[in-house]
Amino acid sequence: MTTTPTTTASSIEAPTMRPPAATATGLVKVYGRGDTEVRALDGASLVVPAGQLTAIMGPSGSGKSTLMQTMAGLDPVDQGSIRLGDTEVTTLSEKQRTLLRRERIGFVFQSFNLVPSLTARENITLPLRLAGRSADTAWFEELVTILGLGDRLTHRPTELSGGQQQRVAVARALVTRPDIVFADEPTGNLDSRHGQALLAFLQRAAGELGQTVVMVTHDPTAASYADRVVFLVDGRVVSDLAGPTVTTVLTRMAELEQPASRAGR
Amino acid sequence: MWHLTLRNLLAHRGRFALTLLAVVLSVTFISGSLMLTDTSERLLEDQFRTASAGVDITIRDAAAFDSAMGVEVERDPLAAGLLDQVAQVPGVGQAHPVADGQGVLEVGGEAVVPAGASLLSSYSPEPLGAFTVRQGRAPENDGEVAIDLATARTAGVAPGDTVAVLTDHRTILKVVGLVGFAEADGMPGATVALVPLHEAQRMLGTTGGYSEILVTTTDDASVQDVLDQLRTRLGERYAVSSAQDSAAASASAAQEQIGSLTMVLTAMSAAALLVGAMLIANTFAIVTNQRRREIALLRAAGATTGQVSRSILGEALVIGLLGSALGVGMGVLAADGLRTLGAAFGTDLPDGPTVLSASTVVISLLLGLGVTLVSAVGAARRVARVAPVEALRDSAEASPATRARGRKRSALRLLPLGAGLAGTAAVLAGAPALVLVPAALATVAGIALLGPAVTPVLAQVVGAPLARMGLPGRLARQSAARAPRRTTATAMALALSLALIAFMTVVATSLKEGLSGTYRETVTADLVIESSRAEMLGGLSPHVVQEVDGLAEIATTSRVRYGHWLDGGTTSALTALDPDTVTEVTDLDLVAGSLDALDSGGVVVAQSVAAERGLAVGDTVEMTFSYTGDQQLEVVGILESLDAQALSTSWFVSLETYAEHFTEDMDASVLLRVADGVDVEEAAAAVEAALVDHPTADVRDQATAAAARGATVQQVLGLVTVLLVLTVIIALLGITNTLALSVSERTREIGLLRAVGASRAQVAWMIRAEAVLVAALASLLGLGLGVGLGAATVRALGQQAPLAVALPTGRLALVVAVALAAGLLAGLLPARRAARIDVLRAITTH
Repeated sequence: MTTTPTTTASSIEAPTMRPPAATATGLVKVYGRGDTEVRALDGASLVVPAGQLTAIMGPSGSGKSTLMQTMAGLDPVDQGSIRLGDTEVTTLSEKQRTLLRRERIGFVFQSFNLVPSLTARENITLPLRLAGRSADTAWFEELVTILGLGDRLTHRPTELSGGQQQRVAVARALVTRPDIVFADEPTGNLDSRHGQALLAFLQRAAGELGQTVVMVTHDPTAASYADRVVFLVDGRVVSDLAGPTVTTVLTRMAELEQPASRAGR
Repeated sequence: MWHLTLRNLLAHRGRFALTLLAVVLSVTFISGSLMLTDTSERLLEDQFRTASAGVDITIRDAAAFDSAMGVEVERDPLAAGLLDQVAQVPGVGQAHPVADGQGVLEVGGEAVVPAGASLLSSYSPEPLGAFTVRQGRAPENDGEVAIDLATARTAGVAPGDTVAVLTDHRTILKVVGLVGFAEADGMPGATVALVPLHEAQRMLGTTGGYSEILVTTTDDASVQDVLDQLRTRLGERYAVSSAQDSAAASASAAQEQIGSLTMVLTAMSAAALLVGAMLIANTFAIVTNQRRREIALLRAAGATTGQVSRSILGEALVIGLLGSALGVGMGVLAADGLRTLGAAFGTDLPDGPTVLSASTVVISLLLGLGVTLVSAVGAARRVARVAPVEALRDSAEASPATRARGRKRSALRLLPLGAGLAGTAAVLAGAPALVLVPAALATVAGIALLGPAVTPVLAQVVGAPLARMGLPGRLARQSAARAPRRTTATAMALALSLALIAFMTVVATSLKEGLSGTYRETVTADLVIESSRAEMLGGLSPHVVQEVDGLAEIATTSRVRYGHWLDGGTTSALTALDPDTVTEVTDLDLVAGSLDALDSGGVVVAQSVAAERGLAVGDTVEMTFSYTGDQQLEVVGILESLDAQALSTSWFVSLETYAEHFTEDMDASVLLRVADGVDVEEAAAAVEAALVDHPTADVRDQATAAAARGATVQQVLGLVTVLLVLTVIIALLGITNTLALSVSERTREIGLLRAVGASRAQVAWMIRAEAVLVAALASLLGLGLGVGLGAATVRALGQQAPLAVALPTGRLALVVAVALAAGLLAGLLPARRAARIDVLRAITTH
């Protein structure tokens, strides 16, 4: 009856006791037809461990955004399977995917994150209210406190700084206690100070609060905050790096780009 | 820049489609009305010209004026001896006598009652007469009649059948022929019965006299010479006129009758144009606002402010031209539709090929084009203010600078509303009613100007129930409040339409209630006999009263007649009554003098008129009658205004005086007092039985008669409401248009909502809720404005004759319900579009 501690953020292979938050297998996504055909995903497979911050990296056009969007149920795939917990996402109807997003997934986008006519508080509770649920007050307060938004709740997005806006978006993504949070270049529009604060928070959300987070980024610094970095090239997961640092990420990226350019792609 | 303008229009076809539709609808309305008026005028002229085509000169008894309020005056019959006198005048070819009048046709015991006249005339062979025998033969002997084809068809009459014609008595006649009227099968809205001259004289009781003599001139004589000759020989007693002139006079009398419809159509066209203009201006404002970045780019690339402004005006020019041209085309259909509508609401217009005159085309095109251009001027000016640097900025939201300036201006913006309200208050306090017109305009302008300031607050209040229904409702409310100028402009177009409806409803209902209310209080008769037709002067045969007089169930009968006269050149009306019996069936209160004094040949005037002219008992007034010309009458009494209103006019004479000055021999109504101890219904049955030969005489109890007072007002209200619904439709297009544009502007925001879990249904409901909110806002503004101004108008009218404001709450509630439902309808399309927005594309495209 002895149990080893489950959250060892730095340990690489240590299997966690929790089942994976999401599993993608052999995803294929094709845009266009004939000459204009683009295989955005070409057999991508990925396991997202629960309670970790996973970064997806890759050169532009590698399909990292598509991977995230399909896994989040925003976009259907042409082939393959996506399991979120024990739900098979690919067979869900549009309506069911909407409900899935509402109940079990959180989003943070690069920009245009907030509804301009709603206050910060209203933006944070938006998914709950769309579902007709009331907020868990204690959790809401905790989020707001951690993110330092306590005195900004009655403000409209136009009255908030970029960093504050993005923190409101993060709070909104987390307020439903989703199974998984997807963040698409969350620091893309922020200066480095605000960006690092946000990344530190995402790291903390995974480490301390057990929140599974998947983040798409092209920034090695941002990726270094992750527990694990997954590299994508030409629509396939080609590499995997645990406990990344800026240096190891840069090295790995350089390695990946060489064979690609040699192949003339 | 022309190239760019056209490219832009083609690229944004969808955005401009609804604007184009608004122009088309507005112009359709106008051109349809113009065409209908032209067509009616042409047809009426043709009709009367046809009727006198083969005649050069007509001779009738002289009258001081030919017609009043669209009714041709009656004249004394011409003596039989006149015919020989006329025939002897050199240059006269044929002199053909005609006797005509009213004769209701009865087929198989059922009266055929048309909307217009029941014409009974002596038959005049072609070319003197306008009727051509199409089947059978002309009536030649006593007891024979020819009927017009149209009536014969609808009533199922064929040559060989027997029909009856009711004049003062019933005459059984054998149909020997069917006639057409020139090219047509009959006269619009009329039945025609043609009999031999002698039979006509007997039936009409003219004892050998003629209604008129038709004269042709010999080939060697000029019409003008013969005309002069006849005038000299016959003297002042007779009206000798060229057939062309009398046809024109008859046509203009008929046109006067449809004049009110023309006026209503013109007013409604103006309203449609105004609502259309607001919609067009709003669309241009939104579309150019959405294109700010593109315009800034053009400016950055070197386009001058003039060039970008002109490109907007160029778009307006193309839309205006295209829309107006389409509108003129649609007008042809609209003219038919409006004619049908007019008929449904009691104004029959002649039917025939639609006349498309050059002036109609030019006026419609100019108005359509002008309104579109003027509506686009605001957008063009705003475009000129777009700074090139905006191309580099991210957001298209209004900059804080313009907001601050808006606030500074709002003090000035209060001015029109203040002036409007002050004007309205002044009218309520006793200022002339005409002040209301500028006051109303100022109020409307004031509300439009203040709208952006008050809309957010109003939207919060009106949207409160929506907000309680869930987040989509709240978002809808906030979206409406977020773009106050756009919301106001959209709502104002609908508000204006609703305001007009509310205004008309309040004024018309008040008038109707006032009319029937005073009638109820003043006319105390148990039963009232009136014509079932809406004839201007009543139209009851004098025999009706004779039939009823002898009945044991009836204690008192009292006749009321109407007549037209000229009051210093202006047509006016008077009421003739019997001073001896009228007091038993009415409750008339005289302020001065007495009704009995009417026996001396004097006149009683309403108190309002007496006050206006400073008339007192003993004064003399000059009245011009068609039959006797200028006459001096002594004022013998002053009647309370409300009592006068109950009897429809402000001037009263005795029946004897009436008989002296009028040839007309028609009763407007007969008021009855039932004998003691007799049940009213029983008496009514007895009266109906006695009037079996007078199918157009209706026996009504007092309540029914009172309710019938406002029938005309009700009809006008009905017609106006239907026409205003067309402007509501234009305004609804505005809501659809604005929301559709707003949805395309908010694509990213809607995508975000969908991404975080809003279902399609929730998004669609949000947009529909916004549409309903705009409609609710419009209802609030429109009804407030319409009811307020309506009440003020009624109060102002009440200064002349007492009138109370009546609020038809049921009807107004219906207007609101319809407006809200229509708002929902207007939101359907944009809501569908919003629900179909592709989530991924919305949040990923930049």
